[in-house]
Amino acid sequence: MTSVDATFGEVAAERRTASAPLSHVSIELGHLYMEDFEAGPERLRQQFRRVAPWAATVRTSWQDRVPGRRARVSTCFLIDDYFSRFSTPAELIPMVLEAAAECDLTIDYLARESACAVSDGVELAKLVEDRLVDDPSPDTNGSRPPVKETGWLCNGSRSPQVGSVQAMGKAQRWAPPVQNAKRGHSVFVDVELWDEHGGKRTWSCPFLAAVWQLLRLGLLRREGRLPVRPVPRDDAFPEDWESLPAIVQLNPAAAPFSAYTTLSVLSPRFLPVELAVRTILSQVAVDGDVLEQVAARSGGEGIKLEDELVDRISYVFT
Amino acid sequence: MLVMGEVHTGLLQSSGEIPESACRDVLHLMSGETVRLSRRPMIYAVSPDLLTGVDCRLPSASRSRIRGVGTVVSHSSITGGRVVQGSSYARVERAETDRRLAWSHYLARPGVIEVLGKAKSSDLGDGFIGDPQPNGLDLGSISARFMDVVQSSPLLDRRAPFKVARTKVRWVAQPGDPAIRFTLNADQTRTIRIAHSGDFTPAVVDLCEDLALHDWLLTTLLLIVERARIGGRAGPEVVAKLAPAVDHLLHLWMPAARVDEALVPYWHGLEDRMRFTAQWERLVRRIRDQLTLNDAAMLRSARHP
Repeated sequence: MTSVDATFGEVAAERRTASAPLSHVSIELGHLYMEDFEAGPERLRQQFRRVAPWAATVRTSWQDRVPGRRARVSTCFLIDDYFSRFSTPAELIPMVLEAAAECDLTIDYLARESACAVSDGVELAKLVEDRLVDDPSPDTNGSRPPVKETGWLCNGSRSPQVGSVQAMGKAQRWAPPVQNAKRGHSVFVDVELWDEHGGKRTWSCPFLAAVWQLLRLGLLRREGRLPVRPVPRDDAFPEDWESLPAIVQLNPAAAPFSAYTTLSVLSPRFLPVELAVRTILSQVAVDGDVLEQVAARSGGEGIKLEDELVDRISYVFT
Repeated sequence: MLVMGEVHTGLLQSSGEIPESACRDVLHLMSGETVRLSRRPMIYAVSPDLLTGVDCRLPSASRSRIRGVGTVVSHSSITGGRVVQGSSYARVERAETDRRLAWSHYLARPGVIEVLGKAKSSDLGDGFIGDPQPNGLDLGSISARFMDVVQSSPLLDRRAPFKVARTKVRWVAQPGDPAIRFTLNADQTRTIRIAHSGDFTPAVVDLCEDLALHDWLLTTLLLIVERARIGGRAGPEVVAKLAPAVDHLLHLWMPAARVDEALVPYWHGLEDRMRFTAQWERLVRRIRDQLTLNDAAMLRSARHP
């Protein structure tokens, strides 16, 4: 009798990971807060005029990299409806689109900041918080759970509590905080991830911005599936923000929303926020299957992506 | 260079075996990640893999100061709704630079600990299998936490049918001509050394977890039989002491059921040497004999009161 090679698989025991359609670069053309809106459409036009040449440069440089100049570039715009609510989609979005068009910019996708916290019942922020793997200080050997300051995340060891008395009765002296990966001297960063008042959690701006970057990089999954997909726009924009999808596709011919790399063109006032974002993203463990998927896809196109996801994110501060 | 791991195994803190749905809930350790579950040949559920960051001394038989930085992969699992395991491992690799890098570098290589400076893989392996150093890499504590998180779940009634210590298995896998060595140490820890041809795959971890499970089953059954004091007390008392084994353990013995086909020969190799299954079957027969004897005695006393 010959032997038979038999295999048995159980669907529930296997892990499936959906893949995201990916552009080469996702360019963030702007991020609108209430104060910008209150300053009127001229502020928006100024912003777009500053952004336009940088967006064009990045587009050209990717076209030069990709055979046949067929670079997939998508643009996006984020509106803050989380920290303050202002205006309505019906009033605001046409104004934004008009200001962009005046500067020869096309906004492919428009996203709501509150969607980075919760979108269609999916708590994206919680999803990312659960994937934080704390940067260990020297002599962290696993014997104790990581030391955490609830709601905060840092890149090193914090100063000991000044004035606290140790077991032997000697008051502890001040010692500086230390960055774990310091080169000579420390740049110690401690980021507030959220706070809570009356049982309600408010995620910090850097934390939501970190979620935003992960969405743009197509690296988030929920039970193996993509947690948010862009929805094509309706003819008219709604009168309230809740009725607007998390990510609206404004341009039907747009390249995919998520991309191998991201570029954000921002005012220098966002520099501290973006340092905080990078501190958070340096401690997010992205699903290994998703990382491999993206690496295989980009490799298949002859593009070598940076291993570290923070190196796939770039900025222009202008 | 090599892979190091540690598996802790114990009895789930629950009066009976828990159903599939409860396994899923108890092992739901991360939002947005499903608990993987297989039903054949028996229910086995495993939590998603989670990472723990470390920056510490690595084990070394020569007591050299070797620094490693990176992440350890861990998960919790429940077999047959009854046996819980906490398992951790890390691949140890040489770093390209002697400097500690930004944490994002290490998170791009999940489950890898990079060695800063010089180290020999045999020195690391011997150090890990041998006497662990204080303040060195502590995979045991990490695995213990992954077991505790299950045991302390509010979904369990915490009324285990008998008390038994958890077992600890430390293992090292290195490339080489296929070989396996299982050692029972005086301090109740077990060690496994595996040499595998080709690249390391997580199937090696499955093999070690399966060996740890069966070692725990055998250890526990031996203990139950010993505690029953067969011949040393009245038949019904002996049977009462043996009953938990029948209720909770006997159906769980299924060597290599979850082991990758390519690694099944390792199980067979160990079986030839250690005769695990033969010992298990002998114990099972002994328990069944006691039950039969007791049944016969009860029948007799019912007929001739």
